[in-house]
Amino acid sequence: MTRARPVVAARTLGVTLVAALPLLVLLSVRLGVTGVLGLDETLAGVGAAFGAGAPLEGQVQTIVELRLWHALTAAGVGGALGLAGVLIQGLFRNGLAAPSIIGVTGGATLGATAAILLLSGYGPAWLAVAADVHEPALASLRSAGLLTFLVPAFGFVGAVAVVLLVAALSSRSGRFSVPTLLLTGIAVNTCIAGVLSLVSSLLLDDWDVSRAIFAWTFGTLADRSGWHVVTVWTGLAAAAAVIPFVAWELDLLAGGEEDATSLGVDVRRVRFLCIGAAALAAASAVAVAGQIAFLGLVVPHLLRLLTGTGHRALLALSVPGGAVFLLGVELLNRALLAEHALRPGVVMSLVGGVFFVVLLALNRREVDQW
Amino acid sequence: MTVARAEGLVFEYPGPVRALDGVDLEVGASELVVVCGPNGSGKSTLLRLLGGLLEPARGRVLLGDAPLASLPLGERARRIGVVPQTLRTLPDVSVENFTLAGRYAHIDRWRGPREEDRRAVASALVATEADEFAPRPMTTLSGGQRQRVLVARALAGEASLLLVDEPTTGLDPEHQVRIMQLLAELTGGGRSAVVVTHDLNLASQFADAVCLLRDGRVAARGPPREVLRPEVLVPVYGEHLHFGTAPDGRPIVVPWAARP
Repeated sequence: MTRARPVVAARTLGVTLVAALPLLVLLSVRLGVTGVLGLDETLAGVGAAFGAGAPLEGQVQTIVELRLWHALTAAGVGGALGLAGVLIQGLFRNGLAAPSIIGVTGGATLGATAAILLLSGYGPAWLAVAADVHEPALASLRSAGLLTFLVPAFGFVGAVAVVLLVAALSSRSGRFSVPTLLLTGIAVNTCIAGVLSLVSSLLLDDWDVSRAIFAWTFGTLADRSGWHVVTVWTGLAAAAAVIPFVAWELDLLAGGEEDATSLGVDVRRVRFLCIGAAALAAASAVAVAGQIAFLGLVVPHLLRLLTGTGHRALLALSVPGGAVFLLGVELLNRALLAEHALRPGVVMSLVGGVFFVVLLALNRREVDQW
Repeated sequence: MTVARAEGLVFEYPGPVRALDGVDLEVGASELVVVCGPNGSGKSTLLRLLGGLLEPARGRVLLGDAPLASLPLGERARRIGVVPQTLRTLPDVSVENFTLAGRYAHIDRWRGPREEDRRAVASALVATEADEFAPRPMTTLSGGQRQRVLVARALAGEASLLLVDEPTTGLDPEHQVRIMQLLAELTGGGRSAVVVTHDLNLASQFADAVCLLRDGRVAARGPPREVLRPEVLVPVYGEHLHFGTAPDGRPIVVPWAARP
């Protein structure tokens, strides 16, 4: 379906975003706290990181790779959260719903935390890969490869469980009430935050584990490896595979579930695919970068403002849009604050919180009628 | 020939509130059946059961010879066109694209709309006289125009049965007549329609058959002249009715309270 009044044609915006993405990645590799790299150097280093050409001398190659994994992880996380945001907002037919607001990100964080605990010796002995390894426990987990698999898997389960819980609590005979949805989200998020605080306070003495959990709660993109890049982009690709099966359907859901059903839309399948894909995308993002709130709220809104409400375009643009957005925010963050750069989760909470308030103010008339 | 038949439909909303309590209804080919009755008598519930949007607790709906429950969603959508009273939110698309949604069950996900789909949309827009505003966004239409487009969308699916929920609510008299005229014109050539309305006078003018519901049961059914009589209506609606006759001899019923 085409949009009635796009500001920018979806195709133009798509081409722009996709073209901007590699440029921003290169820029992120060139600019960093530890100094600015030349373009030739950057290109050679990036090539070497992917096995083309000889690595750069000394620490320069390591720096290039660290920055490259950081940039590619940021892009993947942004894309995944952008996609999850469009899916969740489309499914719940509300622009104030977002993966973080209705608890998807929180659920994924909870799951990821559970995985970290289990793997660090706080669960069955056979799972405790690192129980007897005191050299930074989580570093050895990473090399064990289990971390990269179990943490996203647990994150996914946590995310799905929370979405289902929130959906069950806020719907009556298949109809969602938006105020109930948002209030339930607040309640569930508060509970999750409580559980996470409890866990952290109990584990204050276990420095490695509490540090890892802390990182997850506030989001981090530093010290990412190639594994993180693979994890987030694989999750993102799998989640994006549902786009052709839900794009038109989400447009048709605008008229309500009953109306969509009468047109022949299998609403249950659409709901299943959207929740599954949003949970997978959000969980992959949380697994590699921790909790980054509000991105899934902001990106869909920006895209809708630019290109209208058709889901075919929104879903397709959410991935490059989210990637460019988070990369851009990260670049600005480092350019402005240098070594004092904030954690991405903190930046997004600050920006996103304000954005949410503005959104409420702009939709005041509609919100007042709830 | 019967296009659709409801047999002993029973439906309860959670509560439990029995909305329908053993309703039978037959819709013949090319027939326009009006379902009316007081608020809460089960009209809209009946329509949703006929469309397969609700599952009956007992009884069944037959579409031709096939039980509706046995038909897959796509097949149902190709055979039944539903015209809702309103939509929860109007999608931000053009009238033409909105109407294309009526072809959802016909369109292949990977190939997209084909020539025949475009043709069906175009002729549905012409039939409903919505073609003149086809490129306009849905959100800019008046109530009457919107109602025509909702009919056009159902028509585009080329279904043999239209289920129409209170199409005249909120429209001025001219637009009420025009939308009912349209539905009456569209009924024929094998296409049938079930229209739920509160407006007994429109039923009188346009219905082939009237089905009067009361407390989830069929209180009366038959041609308008037989159903729209004081002996039938007063027990159902109460005494505040005035009966008259239109120039063409059809019954007229208006709400009426004698003032002191």
